[in-house]
Amino acid sequence: MTMTTPGTAARYIGQSVRRKEDRRLLTGHGLYVDDVSLPGMLHAAFLRSEVAKATITKLDVTAARALPGVVAVFTWEDFNGRFGEAWHSMLGEELIVPPPLAIGDVRHVGDPIALVVAESRYLAEDALDLIELDLDVVTPAVDYATAAADTEHLVHAGWGLPSNAMVDVPFMPLSGDLDEAFAAAAHVIECTIRQNRYVPVPMEARGIVASWTSGRDEMEIVAATQSVHEARNFFARYLGIPEGNITVSARDVGGGFGQKMFVFREECAVVLASRLLERPVKWIEDRRENLMAAGHSRNELGKVRLAIDDDHVIQAIAIDHVADVGAYPICPAVADLQLLPGPYKIPRLGFSMSMVWTNTMGKAAYRGPWMFETTAREMAIDHAARTLGIDPVELRRKNLLSSPDLPFTSPAGNVFQEITPLETLDQALEMLDYEAFRAEQAAARAEGRLLGLGICVYVEPTSMNVPSLGTEGATVRIESSGKVVAYLGTTSHGQSIETTMAQIVADQLGVSYDDVTVVQGETQSTPYGPGTGGSRTAVVAGGAAREAALVVRDKVLAVAAHSLEASPADLEIEHGNVFVKGTPTKSLTMRDVAKAAYTHAQDLPADIGTGLEATVRFRPTQFPTWSNATHLCVVEIDRDTCIPRILRYIVSEDCGRMINPGVVEGQIFGGVVQGIGGVLLEDFVYDADGNPLTTTFVDYLLPTTTEVPMIEIGHIETDSTTNPGGYKGMGEGGAIGAHAAVANAVGDALAHLGINANSTPLGPNDIHRLLVEAGAD
Amino acid sequence: MKPAPFEYHAPTTLDAAVQLLAGLGDEAKVLAGGQSLVPMLNLRLTRFEALVDIGRVEELRRIERTNGTVNLGATVAQCVVERDATVAAGVPLLAKATPLIGHFQIRSRGTVGGSIAHADPAAEYPAVALALDAELEVAGPAGRRTIPAADFFLGTWMTTIGADEILVATRFPVWGAGSGFAVEEVARRHGDFAIAGAAVAVTVTDGQVARAAIGLFGMGHTPLRASAAESALTGAAASGVDAAEIGRLAVEGLEPPDDLHASSGLRLRVGAATVSRALQRAIEEADRA
Amino acid sequence: MPELPVSVIVNGVSRTAVVEPRKTLADFLRDDCRLTGTHLGCEHGVCGACTVILDGRAVRSCLVFAVQAEGSEITTVEGLATDGELSAVQAAFESEHGLQCGFCTPGFVVSVTALLEQHPDPTDDEIREGLSGNLCRCTGYQGILRAVRVAAEATKARTA
Repeated sequence: MTMTTPGTAARYIGQSVRRKEDRRLLTGHGLYVDDVSLPGMLHAAFLRSEVAKATITKLDVTAARALPGVVAVFTWEDFNGRFGEAWHSMLGEELIVPPPLAIGDVRHVGDPIALVVAESRYLAEDALDLIELDLDVVTPAVDYATAAADTEHLVHAGWGLPSNAMVDVPFMPLSGDLDEAFAAAAHVIECTIRQNRYVPVPMEARGIVASWTSGRDEMEIVAATQSVHEARNFFARYLGIPEGNITVSARDVGGGFGQKMFVFREECAVVLASRLLERPVKWIEDRRENLMAAGHSRNELGKVRLAIDDDHVIQAIAIDHVADVGAYPICPAVADLQLLPGPYKIPRLGFSMSMVWTNTMGKAAYRGPWMFETTAREMAIDHAARTLGIDPVELRRKNLLSSPDLPFTSPAGNVFQEITPLETLDQALEMLDYEAFRAEQAAARAEGRLLGLGICVYVEPTSMNVPSLGTEGATVRIESSGKVVAYLGTTSHGQSIETTMAQIVADQLGVSYDDVTVVQGETQSTPYGPGTGGSRTAVVAGGAAREAALVVRDKVLAVAAHSLEASPADLEIEHGNVFVKGTPTKSLTMRDVAKAAYTHAQDLPADIGTGLEATVRFRPTQFPTWSNATHLCVVEIDRDTCIPRILRYIVSEDCGRMINPGVVEGQIFGGVVQGIGGVLLEDFVYDADGNPLTTTFVDYLLPTTTEVPMIEIGHIETDSTTNPGGYKGMGEGGAIGAHAAVANAVGDALAHLGINANSTPLGPNDIHRLLVEAGAD
Repeated sequence: MKPAPFEYHAPTTLDAAVQLLAGLGDEAKVLAGGQSLVPMLNLRLTRFEALVDIGRVEELRRIERTNGTVNLGATVAQCVVERDATVAAGVPLLAKATPLIGHFQIRSRGTVGGSIAHADPAAEYPAVALALDAELEVAGPAGRRTIPAADFFLGTWMTTIGADEILVATRFPVWGAGSGFAVEEVARRHGDFAIAGAAVAVTVTDGQVARAAIGLFGMGHTPLRASAAESALTGAAASGVDAAEIGRLAVEGLEPPDDLHASSGLRLRVGAATVSRALQRAIEEADRA
Repeated sequence: MPELPVSVIVNGVSRTAVVEPRKTLADFLRDDCRLTGTHLGCEHGVCGACTVILDGRAVRSCLVFAVQAEGSEITTVEGLATDGELSAVQAAFESEHGLQCGFCTPGFVVSVTALLEQHPDPTDDEIREGLSGNLCRCTGYQGILRAVRVAAEATKARTA
């Protein structure tokens, strides 16, 4: 999609307007955390455990401290008792962030043990080499599938818990007649779906500059974070100082995808170090640390059961779900198993849920953290279709929700409306030319080629009512020049927020897009926001920006009406000019209005002379705002090399009214390629001793330009009624849908050989193994 | 990830480089393009007290065509090889292998000598050198000597270059008229280290394969010659070659490495396929030549 | 080892510093020259975020030591625009939504600039292969590939 230059168009919403962010980013003038340099700034490096589980028997930092250029080496003893509460609004007070440095033992490779602060990162790493560390290595629990029952190798031995199960919810039928439905079903399909461990990998790793000014008791933080306000609130509690004494900024952040949503142990350590040293301290995570220790995701499995009758109607779905949360989960598995029936009419649901500790890196949020419900369901549906010998499209068509079925209440009580699952399936299949594909596949099979189609249909719970995510604030102000500034509590890390919110404000105020500046990613001037994530910016921040702009519009009209001696109802605003309808010569520029409102406010009646600024906190009328999509993936596997190649990728999506279609498509593209990566290339592997084997980009493989197809997107725009803009969130959708779409494509390519590909990854080695096991190599 | 400290030397003559290396001993390492060495230094997987950068020794950058060989100085950059007319004409197999090396930014700095001396068993240049029976010229305090490629590669990242010697040049023999060349590589992504690959050269005279050379990479701890397959090919009618069968023969008995990205079994399969595909293309080219 | 002097020309401007031999060219540009447009994404030569043009060739500046660049001419992302006007490559990335978070962008823009100098009329395969050494996590490469095509056409038109 080509982005347009905003010209004289009166309405920006709906246009793929060029981004405000681009100029500075294209010319190398972004301001990421590592670009920040403060006088007297020092550099930090962490000593991390190289074993999965051990007691620390010796930790001697004397030689490290003595290295010239090293200013300090901190261990737990230095930080003990020097901090307060450590929790995040979204996760609740009970989920306490683990201590900044290990206390006497280590529980995963990468566990931070000591913090060196020196005049350069080079010197800090030299000092790490001088730290004397002795460890008593103990057998870890590494495989989450068996760790829950493993009472011998406890991840958190000192906590007095009987097992490695952090959460263990026994099977709960949500529907009273679930068992009967399974007993009576013509077909009961059972399969185990396993999703591999993969990681978000933002191109910018984590980082923080913490700068304590003693005497003023002020902490200034620049961080690669997805939430400046949450970081500020967190550190206010942590340091025992008022929020007003902390500023957090993140003017440019190089991607996050959920991994940077929450404050980290390492950031806590650096903040404490700065306070103790009374100097700015910078920590920039390197890539090996990021892969190993920034937070892992997707490592879950589920035993899925489907009860299907003779008409191929799915009468019930159930899952026994197990998720690996590592040793110290940052954001534990968001197990939204209530969503398991997805966009289908399946009337009965049951599930059990288990979250298991292992001596591996803790679980982080990653684009659609709950998405295993889609992976499990969509792969099970394909498995069912294969087992029953029917077309997976027909099985879906029989059971999918479409407009006439709405509103629809799911077995878990989710009320679906304004979604279009069947419609997106139909649009996607038309874009593919489904009949032609099956004919092509039949011909390919006759030649011995392995060609397959994967389908995934899902609903996305955007703008959720998870604590702290339900609202956003915006302040809109017209400055004395007549230009507009909008202050948002968001923290953009690639979502084009400066652009889309400016489009909204410009449209509501009637000013030019070029005259609107969006300020966000810093706490001083913006209202509280929980952070950017959860597919909610368009709905909630967009709603706040819209409402605030409308309040300011009313103020503009009131002031202008007074000056023009007209009634506000008789006025229009276009291109920043306020004029009497039908008499365009009787007008004021926004600058004129600002002059009247600010410099001559005393000449205005008191109720009008209140300035041209408004702060609004917005909430949608319902939670969540559902969006939906269908993904189709065509894969061919090279028979000789077992390498899978994606030939086509099609998305038909409905995210309501689009503010900026180019931005929407960009978000889909990025998420889809992350899903492609997770299935075909990316796999974070630990050996049996808990040693990570994929800690550089040489072994952890991201998709590149040669592994991605041109992704085709079709749009359906069904406005949402949860917000006046009609928007729906969609940012995580690409990553939610792609995993099953790609996995099912490989599965479909191998199905005629009697293979059920129900686990990922599905790279050449995995495909080869499946072929060998099936005697088909 | 920052490297550990080292002394840096940038001699401008070969003699100075040899003397430096001899004087510094075990704790010194030759630095050429740095595309293999510097990542390891940055990751602190290895460290040296001193680096001897041979990038400013002018005589190591030369490309010369003599009677039957093309001589490539050790520090000739891969991007230069990619575009060089002498190499294209004289050692087409090397020219064809070059675009497969990593990415163009890597090839801007990576060198011919560096790749061969680094001796990664999954790299292209060592396999080409082995297939063509190249000669490696090294220089040390005791003078110069020539090592045939067949005697050069010892194991993963291990060669018979002495600790105090520097690879100076590689001499590639030029093949005669009626020859065809192809390199086929399979990797998980474009530019990654090969799961397996084959560098194949054939000469077809009067419809018969007069000569064949097959170098394998990714199939062992060093590049390998598929001698049995070469013998089977020699003397065979070019139009009757069963490329798939030659591919199978080429990997028979091999025990390729097993790692995260490919099992030994997958490597055998892929190895056979790359030989087969490269052979077909080489024969086609020889037919047209 | 004591530090060594390094003199280079960066974006047409002479820069001198005294650095440890182990300091990478990337860090020299970022710290000593205060040109923070060149980014570090991996420091082991895979992601391409640190790409700069060194004596006419695109290189991974995390794999070059500053001392190795003595006497060289370097172009970084900050040197691509002329008098405030975006280059054809930069303009194409803007029009085709070839960036989102922007972190990989300098490496891409520099790489594409170098690539198009070598291959002014690249095929789609040449573009994909040429850029396979640059990683992006936000765009799925779709806008980037379009941008290269647009930049190639624009450059062709300009030189026609």
